[in-house]
Amino acid sequence: MTDHDFGQSPVTSALLEVDDLSISFDTDEGTLDAINNISFSIQAGETVGLVGESGCGKSVTAHSIMRVLPQPMGRISHGSVRFNGINLRTLALPDMENIRGSDIGMVFQEPMTALNPVQTIGKQISESLILHLNLSIPEALQASIDILKRVGVPSPELRVSEYPHQLSGGMLQRVVIAIALACKPSLLIADEPTTALDVTIQAQILNLIRDLQNDMKMAVLLITHDLGIIAETCDRILVMYAGRIVESGSVTDIFDSPAHPYTQGLLNSIPRLVTPSKSRLPVIKGQVPNIRDYPTTCRFDNRCPHRQAKCSKLTPELEKVSESHQVSCFGWQGIQKERNI
Amino acid sequence: MAFPLLEVRNLTKSFPVKEGLLMRAKHFNQAVNDVSFFIDPGETLGLVGESGCGKSTLGRCLVQLYQPDHGQVLFKGMDINSLSRTERKQYRQSVQMIFQDPLESLNSRHTIEEILIEPFAIHNTGDRKWRLKKIQTLLELVGLPSNSGSRYPFEFSGGQRQRIGIARAIALGPELIVCDEAVSALDVSIQSQIINLLLDLQAELNIAYLFISHDLAVVKHFSDRVAVMYLGEIVETADSETIYKNQKHPYTNSLIDSIPVPDPHHKAKRHILQGDMPSAINPPTGCHFHTRCPKVMPRCKVDKPKLRVETSSHSFSCHLD
Repeated sequence: MTDHDFGQSPVTSALLEVDDLSISFDTDEGTLDAINNISFSIQAGETVGLVGESGCGKSVTAHSIMRVLPQPMGRISHGSVRFNGINLRTLALPDMENIRGSDIGMVFQEPMTALNPVQTIGKQISESLILHLNLSIPEALQASIDILKRVGVPSPELRVSEYPHQLSGGMLQRVVIAIALACKPSLLIADEPTTALDVTIQAQILNLIRDLQNDMKMAVLLITHDLGIIAETCDRILVMYAGRIVESGSVTDIFDSPAHPYTQGLLNSIPRLVTPSKSRLPVIKGQVPNIRDYPTTCRFDNRCPHRQAKCSKLTPELEKVSESHQVSCFGWQGIQKERNI
Repeated sequence: MAFPLLEVRNLTKSFPVKEGLLMRAKHFNQAVNDVSFFIDPGETLGLVGESGCGKSTLGRCLVQLYQPDHGQVLFKGMDINSLSRTERKQYRQSVQMIFQDPLESLNSRHTIEEILIEPFAIHNTGDRKWRLKKIQTLLELVGLPSNSGSRYPFEFSGGQRQRIGIARAIALGPELIVCDEAVSALDVSIQSQIINLLLDLQAELNIAYLFISHDLAVVKHFSDRVAVMYLGEIVETADSETIYKNQKHPYTNSLIDSIPVPDPHHKAKRHILQGDMPSAINPPTGCHFHTRCPKVMPRCKVDKPKLRVETSSHSFSCHLD
């Protein structure tokens, strides 16, 4: 399946290239395939959204890029991850450690658990500066104050000597972003960066990531289940369902002319401010298949309102809808036509 | 005079913050402060606000999980704190609750049948045969397979567990259900299924809901009227369309502006609120919102705005014209 490059732009050398990646977990119940043959690329400076429901493999994908899959169960069973042309899958561990935190930064969902509770904020930001940029301790502390100021933490001179429990959730997430950005990475992986935060704080953090990205020309892989966040921040979207990418395209491709019945169902089922109150929402029937018994055919088959006979026999390959838009569905042409009527 | 189904008058609830060697209460966390509202039969009142604004405390006061410090809760005109033993039992049948985390609110060592039979056992309704038959009806009503009775909660997905929680809540034919973040933990595609189920049950059984959530888009979709809470107080109440189109309080306005819109062509006039919500232990003077308000005036810092009644269904507390 190597010829399927998801939404790849004409530029050949992508910043990140994930090619035919499969991830397996060895458990007592046997080997479970969390991710099957996914491919996508991210260009320098671009924001790519990875959207899907819990358990679809979004976070596992992010963890595999950073090689922080849970050990010893999790492993990349197939495919490659290339960053600036370097194959991260086969890279020696010390070299991988050099890339983590310096070239690729990562922001996790829970700011409260991502930080060390018994170390000061300043020490935690300084750590990567001392390690990757060879700064002295006073230099690193000064740089930490500067970056805290940049991410909008008030009175950073005082904050560097405080501990995580002294800060609010929104402030902690700013600190986590500060750590991720300290060494000016060219790629930021943000795994549900605002899910644990209140809406007003979420808006602040998303604005912050956008501003920093413009300043630093950084690429962002934004993982979220919230289609609103995707629409407001991303250039391109990857829609994941049960361990596979089922559709990819530009923001306008996905929101204006979704081709996969799952994407259409998702877009229809969210309550919006503009829909009339107390109306019934269109739903996707049933539930996501269990990872233990993913069908060998199209995985959306049992929930699909447009299923055909061959959907339960074969796996749909990725097809081009347009230059920027790809979908894996046998009936997408008919479905899209029907939707536009 | 006809009473509303439920009326809350000047409800206040605070929690002591204990400090020091002797763990004496030095401060009080004003979780809910002088809150009044009503819910009519078969109506949905949405209660929206950020974490820590007191919305869950308020819900828990209604189902008597907490005892309010001041104020009254009137159910069909009767104060729930002066009910007799039998009347209280009746009240507990009529007002039920659905929680956020369906796994933690169901006993993991009980089968679904044991979980659902409990309300009938407590309230001594029917014999075993009747109860089992009733459970079948309930399972059908919430869209679960009829053989679910002998299975355990862990065998179900999050959405199905929430259906079990709903089945338990409607078992005794309640008139009001307090839904505390009932759909927040669910995935997008499951969330819409549960919202539809709650809407259907309301239409069929004429249940009133107090729908507590932090997600204004969900609240607006689900409710007839919406009350917006900030730092222990209701700052604006109106019907859902008015809250969305003609809101008066700057906080409601900022809440609406901060919701990400799932439409790439929507160009938001983004008005992003700065700072964090102040602590309820030591709330700001004057209007509680003045520390973050984009339209703050000098008098907001000293003078607490009174509730202004715009129309019979729309009221808000703000000094702005």
